[in-house]
Amino acid sequence: MATENKDLHNEDYEFDTLTNERLIKDHNYDGIRELDNDLPPWWKWLFYLTIIFAVVYLIRLFVLHSDDLIQESEFKKEMAGYEQQSTSAGGTTEAAAFQVRLLEDEASLASVKETFEKICAVCHLADGGGLVGPNMTDNYWIHGNTVQDLYKVATNGVIEKGMIPYKDQLSDQKRLEVVSYILFKLVGTTPTNPKAPQGIEY
Amino acid sequence: MELQKFTYDNKLTRMFMLVTVLWGVVAMLVGLTVAFELIFPTMSAEIPWLVFGRLRPLHTNAAIFAFVGNGFFAAIYYSMPRLLKTPMYSKALGNIHFWGWQLIIVLAAVSYPLGLTQGKEYAELIWPIDVLVVLVWVVFGLNMIMTLVYRRVKHIYVAIWFYLATWVTIAVLYIVNNIQIPTSFLHSYPIYSGIQDALVQWWYGHNAVAFFLTTPVLGMMYYFIPKAANRPVYSYKLSIIHFWALIFLYIWAGPHHLLYSALPDWAQALGVVFSVMLIAPSWGGMINGLLTLRGAWDKVREDPVLKMFVVGVTAYGMSTFEGPMLSLKSVNALSHFTDWTIAHVHIGTLGWNSMMNFGMIYWMAPRLFGTKLWSTKLANAHFWIATLGMLFFSIPLYFAGFTQALMWKEFTAEGYLAYPNFLETVTQIMPMYSLRAFGGSLYFIGALLFVVNVWKTVTSGKFIRYEEGEAPAKPAPKAGEGWHRKLEGRPLQLTVAALVVILIGGIVEIVPMYLVKSNVPTISAVQPYTPLELEGRDIYIREGCYLCHSQMIRPFRSEVVRYGDYTKAGETVYNFPFQFGSKRTGPDLAREGVKSLPNYKPDSWHYEHLVDPQQLNEESVMPPYPWLAENKLDISNTASKINVMRTLGVPYDEGFADQAVAELKKQAAKIGQGLRDANIQVEDDTEIIAVIAYLQRLGTDVYKDK
Repeated sequence: MATENKDLHNEDYEFDTLTNERLIKDHNYDGIRELDNDLPPWWKWLFYLTIIFAVVYLIRLFVLHSDDLIQESEFKKEMAGYEQQSTSAGGTTEAAAFQVRLLEDEASLASVKETFEKICAVCHLADGGGLVGPNMTDNYWIHGNTVQDLYKVATNGVIEKGMIPYKDQLSDQKRLEVVSYILFKLVGTTPTNPKAPQGIEY
Repeated sequence: MELQKFTYDNKLTRMFMLVTVLWGVVAMLVGLTVAFELIFPTMSAEIPWLVFGRLRPLHTNAAIFAFVGNGFFAAIYYSMPRLLKTPMYSKALGNIHFWGWQLIIVLAAVSYPLGLTQGKEYAELIWPIDVLVVLVWVVFGLNMIMTLVYRRVKHIYVAIWFYLATWVTIAVLYIVNNIQIPTSFLHSYPIYSGIQDALVQWWYGHNAVAFFLTTPVLGMMYYFIPKAANRPVYSYKLSIIHFWALIFLYIWAGPHHLLYSALPDWAQALGVVFSVMLIAPSWGGMINGLLTLRGAWDKVREDPVLKMFVVGVTAYGMSTFEGPMLSLKSVNALSHFTDWTIAHVHIGTLGWNSMMNFGMIYWMAPRLFGTKLWSTKLANAHFWIATLGMLFFSIPLYFAGFTQALMWKEFTAEGYLAYPNFLETVTQIMPMYSLRAFGGSLYFIGALLFVVNVWKTVTSGKFIRYEEGEAPAKPAPKAGEGWHRKLEGRPLQLTVAALVVILIGGIVEIVPMYLVKSNVPTISAVQPYTPLELEGRDIYIREGCYLCHSQMIRPFRSEVVRYGDYTKAGETVYNFPFQFGSKRTGPDLAREGVKSLPNYKPDSWHYEHLVDPQQLNEESVMPPYPWLAENKLDISNTASKINVMRTLGVPYDEGFADQAVAELKKQAAKIGQGLRDANIQVEDDTEIIAVIAYLQRLGTDVYKDK
């Protein structure tokens, strides 16, 4: 381990009795001694490698303008890949087959309770009693009471009243399930703290 | 050679050592409290000063500046006189340093819960306390420098290089980051805004880690490990190389806190590469610590002091490897804003900083009190409990971090976010939060054992105030010394050299952000805040909202779909201070007010949610803020705030300050009326109106035309 140090001459050394390595003679600080060991080679190589990494990285950015280091290009690439995927998936046949009709079978409504409680409950509460948004259990409706009416509200929102559109967050099918759940399961139940009726009674 | 006699005075060492124990317990207790608040969000019981956002700065500041800081000072007051063979220069300066620092800590502990904050992480102290910090820091430096002047040894030891680098760098960082213009005795705005403020703040924040949690502790390591093990330092050459490399490289790494933000690509790239280059210099310190123990491993098995040091230095090695990995953009895309970061920092603080403090005090207390450690068994128990506690703390948070990051990014086959409701991703990791609190509790129990042991040691011995020392007068320099050896004999030059080395990185990164206009492209749609929004923003800062909510949408599909278009530098120009945040315990709020985005909520929702979040969603981890609906908005300072903003270059019309309050009331009346129309009983002059105004403004400027 011990190597020649040009600054020090041989008489400047003593030897550590346990490791047989050279101690630097006049280095004694409150009894703390220092060994004259060289840097471990693996440590030196680690340092060189990280420096090479840094140089290559900076050349890739400043000279080669690599896309993956320019975040705007990186983002555009990610979005382009996604748009291509969604247009190729098409979905036109599905869309044509999709109809806004009240779902009344238990199978379709099995998972929708969870969706309602995660998304809609933020304003209408989990039991549909309403707080920020209107009560979903009574027979009063502001924007109509048919499944088509509710579907329209869920899709496009009523932004001036604070209801946001969900067409970008929930699929057509999910939105239909949710409004069906409201009409089929929630209307007529008794929530813990019902909000006063709003709109017209149907 | 004639020996000169002198006397070491242990009094200040004892004082610093004992307050380290005290503040350590306080810092951990507050940390534990906020960990439990995340599990039981209503725990703050509607008491403003107990709320998470106000206690979290207290926890971080107490851990950094009170616990680690006082430990560092104890190390200095013990080791410097012994390494330099002279007593500390001045007892008076020492006392001012001690009592001044404790006063700052007490003021912090009072001001944070009161909501007095600058809103910049680890730099939250308000300006009068900042002034005090600078004064005390100068006193501390003066005492250190004068001690060096009167030293009896020619060359200064590596521990002292680290002490000096710490002092000079912290001075630069603290002053530059805290330049601010007061609007009143308790409030100010920083002179930097938006992305520029972010860069300065993280240059400071990252280097608070580097120069308050790393370099002083390396200095401690270089003194106390060889002392406790009675072994020579592994390599003098390594000391030199890793010292200079570490301080030069560290200062550049700040931008890694802002990867994928609105910071220009070149600055982000510098943050990445300098972080990666830090691995070897950091490990140089670890190697020099651990290999110093060669020939003493048999002692490590028995001596709790050395055990603490070994785990401490190992944890240092772990976190200084993890840090550069987290700085790689692909890793950071996942880790940033999650609990991964929290786990990473705590390997550093619970592992490295605390273990080094524990070890040092277990070694120092018996020596100061002329006795043996009261119970080695208890210290060993502390060691195991603390190590286990650290693992129970961190490992669950790593899982929480991965889990949440993957949930944020997941899309369904139809192309919708798999978890559109942010809360779902929080609920998922709640068990991990409970495990973390368990780990934290273990660690805290360990710390209590430490208190008992130190207390018993101190009371069973008798304080040795004075110790006699003797040494020959300072020798003349020998001919033919190498250049570094010469520098070691000239501490002032060494300090200046360290200063030059640390200034380079900061200047290269920060100056172009101001001088080169393309770094912050102007967006004409972006307008200053209205007076009501500005007041609301200051309340947002007061309550520490930024500690759980980011305002920085990254350019990823998963974020743009969830939160809206990614944040641009030009949008942030009126944000004094910036509010990007560093953790998303709740969703990003950068575009909270944009009506066409999925996150939009009406005013009435914000009202109900701020007053009682759990009413809207049982599982919400947001604490309730009912006082916002009760407190009257303080408008006595509004005009002054507008004037300061004008000084800072915000384009309010001349004389606008005089109309500001009238404007504010007009806007408040409109929001108040809207809420009353929705059947909410609220007064126009309450704080909640201002907060709602601010939230509804967020991110809307660039969406106005859409």
